[in-house]
Amino acid sequence: MFGNLVKQRFFVILVLLVAMIFFFTFTQERFLTINNFTVILTSSSILWVASMGLTFVMIAGGFDLSVGSLLALSGIALGYFSNQLNLNLALAIFLTIAFGAIVGGLVNGFTIGKLGLSFLVVTLGSSTLFIGLTQFWSGTKTNAIKNANLQNLAYEKLFFIPNQVVVMILVYLILLYVQKYTLFGRDIYAIGGNVEAAKLSGINTSRILVMVYALAAGFAALAGVIQDARIGAASPQVGQNLIFTATAAVLLGGTSFSGGLGGVSGTVVGVLFLGVLQNGLSVAGVADYWQSIVTGIILIGAIALDLLQQKRRSSSARGTSE
Amino acid sequence: MLMSNENLSSAAIFQAVDVTKNYGGVKALRGVTLDIRPGEILGLCGENGSGKSTFLKIISGQIQPSSGALSLDGEAVIFKNPNDALKNGISAVTQERTLAPDLTVAENIYLSHLKPKSFFGIKWRDTHKQSEDILKKIGCELNTNSLVRDILPGQAQMVEIARAIIGKTRILILDEPTSSLTSYEVDKLFVALRNLAEEGVSIIFISHRLEEIYAICDRLAVLRDGNLVSAGMISEYSEKKLIHDMIGRDPSTLAKNENILGDDALLHVKNFSLVNKFEDVNISLNKGEILGLIGLVGAGHSELLESIFGLHNQRKGSLHIDGVDVRVRNPRDAMRSKIAFVPADRKNQGLVLGMSILENAMMASMSAKHRLARPRSKKTDQQVKTYSKDFNIVCSSIEAPVSSLSGGNQQKVLLTKWLSTDPSILLLDEPTRGVDVGAKSEIYRILLDQRDRGLSIIVSSSEIPELLTLCDRIVVMFRGKVVANLNRSIADESRIVQYAMGQLDEEVA
Repeated sequence: MFGNLVKQRFFVILVLLVAMIFFFTFTQERFLTINNFTVILTSSSILWVASMGLTFVMIAGGFDLSVGSLLALSGIALGYFSNQLNLNLALAIFLTIAFGAIVGGLVNGFTIGKLGLSFLVVTLGSSTLFIGLTQFWSGTKTNAIKNANLQNLAYEKLFFIPNQVVVMILVYLILLYVQKYTLFGRDIYAIGGNVEAAKLSGINTSRILVMVYALAAGFAALAGVIQDARIGAASPQVGQNLIFTATAAVLLGGTSFSGGLGGVSGTVVGVLFLGVLQNGLSVAGVADYWQSIVTGIILIGAIALDLLQQKRRSSSARGTSE
Repeated sequence: MLMSNENLSSAAIFQAVDVTKNYGGVKALRGVTLDIRPGEILGLCGENGSGKSTFLKIISGQIQPSSGALSLDGEAVIFKNPNDALKNGISAVTQERTLAPDLTVAENIYLSHLKPKSFFGIKWRDTHKQSEDILKKIGCELNTNSLVRDILPGQAQMVEIARAIIGKTRILILDEPTSSLTSYEVDKLFVALRNLAEEGVSIIFISHRLEEIYAICDRLAVLRDGNLVSAGMISEYSEKKLIHDMIGRDPSTLAKNENILGDDALLHVKNFSLVNKFEDVNISLNKGEILGLIGLVGAGHSELLESIFGLHNQRKGSLHIDGVDVRVRNPRDAMRSKIAFVPADRKNQGLVLGMSILENAMMASMSAKHRLARPRSKKTDQQVKTYSKDFNIVCSSIEAPVSSLSGGNQQKVLLTKWLSTDPSILLLDEPTRGVDVGAKSEIYRILLDQRDRGLSIIVSSSEIPELLTLCDRIVVMFRGKVVANLNRSIADESRIVQYAMGQLDEEVA
C-alpha cells in the first residue's frame, strides 16, 4: 500500500502537504480543529469539483480554458431555471448540469474532437463567448435565488458531514471508478499517451474527446450550482480566476500537459494542498499575496522536478530498448 | 591494402580513409576508403543496410566515425556537426523534407544562409531575385513568393537542392533526389547536375534506379554489408556486374511468371488508387497464405497496406472480402471486417508506451465494447498471459509498462494485441524493424504458425530475405504500380531487386 503510494506522481506534493499540516499544527493553535478542517474542505468544494473534470481533459492531452466562465454561465442558468421557470430545485439542478455538459460538448468537444481544431484556440474563444453570454443573460446583475432550499442545501449536513463534502467525496469516487474501471477511462489515457495508436486500435477517439469536454463542462456546471448555493444567488462575476487555481491543482497532482499521465487522486492532493496552504496562512495572519507567491514557487518547482524525473526515466528506458 | 590505393587519386578533393562505424555491436561500416574527385558525379550504390546512409551521414557531419580519417584538400578534417561540413562546402539533401511549409520559396532557400541585407534590414527584392536565379540554374521555374505548402512535391525537392547549392558548395550529396520527381523533372535536374559538375562541384548521387545511375554518373562505388565492394568508372560496370556487386550473387535469368491469382481468394483489392502514391493496383490474398509486398522508398507499398486498413480516405477502388464489397473508411470499419494491422512505427503508431502490456494488448479487442464496460477481467488477464507465454514475451509482469520492454518484445505485444481480435486478415508493415535476431525468428515462427491455422497475412517489408522466409507469394511494386507477382518457387533476391528497381516490367494479370 505505502510502496504503491511512493510510486505515485503526486507523492512529493503529498509529503509537502503532510509536512505543511504538521507545521501549521505546531505553530497555530487554531489550525488543528474539526471546525477548521471543515472550513478547509468546504471552501475547496468549487475548486475540487471543477478540477476533477479538468483532470480528465488534461489526461487526454487537451486543456479547457473555459471551465471558469462555464461555471458562471451555469450559475446564471440555475437562477433562470429556479427563479424564472419556477422549477423544482432538483430538476433545476439537473437541468443546469445537463445544460453545461451539452454546451461544453457542442462548443468545445465537437470542434476539438470532431473537427480537430486546436484546444487552446477553441477554449480561449469559448471562454470569452461564455463570459459574454453570462453578462447578457444576467443583465450584468447578481440575482438572489428565491428558493431558500438551495442555500440550505449548501450548509446542511448528512450524518454530521456537510453536504458539500458529501458531494466532493461522491464526485471523487465516481471519477476514480470511471478512470480506473471503465474502458472510457482507459481510452482517455490511451488518447493522451498516443492518439495515433489509439485510433489505429479502433478507439473512436473523436467521440471520446467530445465526451471528455462535455464531462469537464458538466462538472464546471456542478461547481456553478455549488457556487450559487453557497451565496444564495446567481452572480455573473464568479469563476474568473478558477482556471488558474484549477490548473495549478491538477498540475500539482501530477497530471501533466503532455497527457497520458496522472489522475483524479493526484488532483485531490493538489486541491487539498492549495486549500491547506491558503487556510494555514490566513489563520497565521499572513497577507493574502503570500499565498500566490508560495503557490507559484511550489508549482514551478514541482513541474521542474517532474521534468527531471521524466528525463531520467526516458533515458533509462532508452537504455533498455537499445 | 591494394584496393585503397586504387580508390585514392592524387587529384581527390576529399578522402575518407578506412572509415568504420559501429552502433553497439553492429558494424555499419567496415573500413571504407573512398575519394571524391573535383567535378565528378559519383554514384553510391548498395541495398538497404549496405552502409550507404551511414557513409553519407559521416561525410556530412551528422554522425562521427568510430575510426578512420577524413581529409579535405589533403588536410585532415573532423566534422563535429553538419554545420562544420557545411562550412567546408559539403552540403547534403537527404530524404527527409526540411522545408518550412508556411514560409515562401525564397525564405526557405535562404533559411540557413544570410539573406542579402542592408542597413535597413533584409533586402527582400534581392533575396527573391537571387533565389529565382539559383532555381533557374537547376532548371526550375517557380514563383519565389509561393508558400512551400502550395508547391508540388517535385518542386519542393528542387527548392531543397537550390538551398544546398546556394553557398560555396564543393561537394553536393543527393540521397534519392528523384523519388518525388516526374521523368521530365528528372531530365531537367540531370542537365543542371551536369552543369554544376562542369563548374567543378563534386556530386555524390544515390538512387535505387539503375537507369538514372547510368544516365548521370561518371564513377560508381558499391557498398555491401558495410564494405566497399568495388569502385570504378561507369564504363567498367555492366548492369550484371553492378547487381552482382550489390547483392553478392549473379542476377538470375528470367523464368516464366506463374499466374497464381486464386479464384477463391479471401481478399480482393480492386483498382486501388491514391494520388501520388499508387495507381490502379489489383491484388488478391488467398486463405491461409502469406503475401509479401515490397518496393523501394516511394513505391507505394506501405500506403497500399494502410489503405486496406482504411487509413487513406481519398483512395479510390473497392475492397472485396469473400466476394462481398466492403466499405472500409477507417480502422473501425476494417476491424469490423476482421482485418488487423500492425503498423511500421511501433512507438508512434503501435503502442501507448506509458500504459501496461496488458492494456496495450487488449486495446484493439476491447475497442468494440461499450465504453462503460470494465477494461479487464480474469479472462482477459488469462488471455494475455497465455499469449505472453506462447510468444515468449520477456517481462516482469503483464502489468509492467510496455516501454520497459525491448523492441522485439514490444513487437510481440503488438502481435498479441491484433491476434486477440481474432482477425481473418492480418496486415503487417515492417514486422521486424528494430528487432533483434532472436525475436525476429520468433516473430517469423508466430506468423508461419498463424498462417498454418488459416490466417491470411500480408507483410510489407524492405528486407528481401524476410519476405523469402515468410511468404508464399511476393508482389513487387515500382512507382505506385504492381510490376511483378511472384510465386515463392520462382522468387529470389536478384529478381526482386531487378523488379523493384524498375529493370524488369511484366504485365501482371
